[in-house]
Amino acid sequence: MSMVILLSAITYASILAIGCASITLLYTSTRVFNFAHASMVSWGFYLTFIFYNLFGGSPYIYMVPASIVVGLFGVITYLLVLRKLIRSKASEITLMMVTLGVDFVFFGFLNILIDYFWYNYRWSIKTVNIVPRDPLLGAVSGVPITAVNVVAPLSAIAMLMALHIFLSRTSLGMAMRASIENPVLAAITGINVDRIYVLAWFIGGFLAGLSGSLLTMYTQGYSAIGFDYSVLYFAGSIVGGLYSILGGLLGGVLVGFSERLLTYYLSFYIPGIYAFRFAIPLAMLIATLIIYPKGLAGLVERK
Amino acid sequence: MMEQALFILINVVFNVSIWLILSLSLNIEVGFANISQFGRLAAALVGSLAVGGIIGRVAALLAGQPIDERFVEDNAYVITAVNSYLSQHPLISVLLLVLALVTAVLLGALIGVAMILPAVRLSEAYLGITLLSIAEVLRTFLYNYDPIIGGTRGVSVPAFLQFLNDYSTPITLALMVLMAITSFAVAEAISRSPLGRAMRAIRDSEVAAEVYGRDVMKIKIYTVMIGSAMAALAGALYTIFTGSSYANDYSRFTWTFLPWAYIMLGGVGNNVGVSLAVIVMSILRSFIQIYKHELASYLLNIDPSWLEYIIIGLIIILITLFRPQGMIPEKPVFTLPRGRIEEIRKRVLEEKESF
Repeated sequence: MSMVILLSAITYASILAIGCASITLLYTSTRVFNFAHASMVSWGFYLTFIFYNLFGGSPYIYMVPASIVVGLFGVITYLLVLRKLIRSKASEITLMMVTLGVDFVFFGFLNILIDYFWYNYRWSIKTVNIVPRDPLLGAVSGVPITAVNVVAPLSAIAMLMALHIFLSRTSLGMAMRASIENPVLAAITGINVDRIYVLAWFIGGFLAGLSGSLLTMYTQGYSAIGFDYSVLYFAGSIVGGLYSILGGLLGGVLVGFSERLLTYYLSFYIPGIYAFRFAIPLAMLIATLIIYPKGLAGLVERK
Repeated sequence: MMEQALFILINVVFNVSIWLILSLSLNIEVGFANISQFGRLAAALVGSLAVGGIIGRVAALLAGQPIDERFVEDNAYVITAVNSYLSQHPLISVLLLVLALVTAVLLGALIGVAMILPAVRLSEAYLGITLLSIAEVLRTFLYNYDPIIGGTRGVSVPAFLQFLNDYSTPITLALMVLMAITSFAVAEAISRSPLGRAMRAIRDSEVAAEVYGRDVMKIKIYTVMIGSAMAALAGALYTIFTGSSYANDYSRFTWTFLPWAYIMLGGVGNNVGVSLAVIVMSILRSFIQIYKHELASYLLNIDPSWLEYIIIGLIIILITLFRPQGMIPEKPVFTLPRGRIEEIRKRVLEEKESF
């Protein structure tokens, strides 16, 4: 099989997995299915590019700062909008809709920022493509390996490890798990559930931003990149089952892999299928919901 | 000046009537029955397909034009020939137009059922994301698959009312307004009917509705069927007015999220409130679209369409936070006028006494 395709699929799956973990974390902790994810990914994508254009160096340096900024977006969203609604026990649909509003606001401001750089500095920022500038690390049997092929999977693994250690070893992480399991009981034992939710939204925003930031080196895009990819993130997190972060990561990996590899294999039999590649993860989503609505997380937990 | 005013008027009437039908259809599903329909664009797209892909071909067949791949390849040529044929046969044109709307409604109902069947047992977020995904699959498919509505190129739609010459635009607009009013009447009728009450019962408590012997799944399927049929009508009218059927016109923002914002603003479950919100917001949108460049010069060269996003977003947020019931809250619906009910009561009492 083609190494290039496999390498690209691994990278892609890692990037998706990080984003799916974000959606799952926010859903399990605060019952919010985050529609603002789309713009958060776009912000991560563009902030990396803007920092890189302003300060130079390697785009990878700006992965963390960009993700932190997006994480703060998450905190602002929670504090200003969601806290009141969660406290008044708003329905899931209401919470979803309000994040859609947040998404539009973020999207509008992102485009204003883009226009600012475009009008005043004449940057080629309407469509961003810095993929060719990604450093080549070497070649394995003639297949070129660029930095993103290594950084993206490493980031996904690092995030998985960090989340695992955080949730199972630190007292703050345990407090978070307790608040997810049973907020009332957690509050009785003296955990400040509100602060835990703020933290959850920071981590959620951070992961969404990181996913977008990695996309900068993986593909070209414009301000609606998060909007275009959001269906895939949603599919990945639903396939993952929406209630375990590990499940979310697995769902993202599965969706990413199947999209790239299945399209590649099917293209031998059905020419022109590449254009329909978005349909594959969505078909998987529908199949998961019909056959096994608990998603991958259910499978993991059974063991 | 006169021309400018006319242009604004056409734009406003067009926007109001299309999004009124769309928002009312969403209100039936979301407001009455609490089905988180995030795949509204699918039905509208199918409505467009019915006009461009099916009735367009029927017209081509009647005009002696090809309906195979040449219909898409030489679309401009075929449609020109069809139009010159139609302009000489007013009766056939009108029949085709009616047929187009009927086909759109039927296909819309069909896609509604097809979408809700696999997902009917899901609830809230899961249902919403599933419907959104099905709609996206459909749009992506039609955008990339040429043979039906021309994929990335789209297809033109016959000008059904060309025989009216100068009057074709006003008559089309009048038709749209008529359809919008009809949709409002239908939505109100459903709201007052036993079906509407069953929908509300399901919305308020699915378990209670089931206890009282209602088939919840069946009513949900009916609801989506009616809503989707109505949304398909909006898609068909949009296609007829703009004269082309093109999959990427049916974006998630304008065809799903905007109607959602409108019904939240107007008052979920209240047709009058929703209509009011659609009228206010559509006029605002029309003006932003028309005076884009003039506005931009005041706004440090910021494209006003981004402000449109921010305004819509803020409306959604502020309404949810501070006035979740919307501009006009939902009121209890009386099925019959008060007088009628009194009359019936009197009659029943009289009958009792006569025993």
